[in-house]
Amino acid sequence: MSGCEQGKHEWFTCNLRHGFLVVEGCFECGIRSSFFCTERVAPVEEYREGKHFWITMGSYQSARFDLQCRDCGKTVDLDDVFGLMLSECTDAGCPVGAIASRQGPGSMVFVALCEDSTHAKGICVSSEGIAALNDYFNRDIEALGRRVVVVPCKTCNSLDKCRGTIIADTGLTEF
Amino acid sequence: MKISEIAEKTGLRAINDYGDREVESVYVSDMVSDLITSAKRNSILITLQTHKSLIAAASVVAAAMIVIVKGRRPSDDVVELATKTGIALFTSDLDTWTFAKKLVQLGME
Repeated sequence: MSGCEQGKHEWFTCNLRHGFLVVEGCFECGIRSSFFCTERVAPVEEYREGKHFWITMGSYQSARFDLQCRDCGKTVDLDDVFGLMLSECTDAGCPVGAIASRQGPGSMVFVALCEDSTHAKGICVSSEGIAALNDYFNRDIEALGRRVVVVPCKTCNSLDKCRGTIIADTGLTEF
Repeated sequence: MKISEIAEKTGLRAINDYGDREVESVYVSDMVSDLITSAKRNSILITLQTHKSLIAAASVVAAAMIVIVKGRRPSDDVVELATKTGIALFTSDLDTWTFAKKLVQLGME
């Protein structure tokens, strides 16, 4: 049986797209929504949509990609991943903090962020996407004695209170 | 070539304590969104950036070391995160191109 048939794929990044991650929040009910924009300038808008009044909370230069298997050609669509956050959570009461506390030196927990950090629609990053990201980021690093653990953001008790660093292009204008 | 050897031969100043290891490639970028999709494992990353996000991006691609050029120095919380994630941090007074040329002269690509 091949590695692919056993679920062991040789992932590489494909369908690379550069753009902006735009985060909006509803002024009235507090839910959030994110979208990826490939326009040359990130939009800054305020508009009403049904019961929501959306305002732009911020935008960051970002990149999106999918994963494809070098051996069998299988592609995992990561359109539902809006960002990765290196967790610095030390709250043992939070599942992410608990996972982080079990890791050895040099190992890290990353939280894969979905479109809506409040999870008002009840959806998050797919389990297939999380599994592929774990495989991809852990390829060939056993020799370094470290491990990367990627979890969906629904694992976190409260992203608003979570301590971590989101991988985003902030600070580019501070030179 | 090992981190310590590169540091010695190019006149780098260490910012944190690090574990020595082999460096296999070089990547130059100031955009973390570029780093996470293109930088390789055990690489040396050359950048102007000093933001914490740089450390997160470097750790997810398992980079070996980061060289911050033009004498810039990150804040203490950035240094602490780099140390915690096992990434060697250095600074150089040179600009990106001049430092990259030094690596080429050492036979790195």
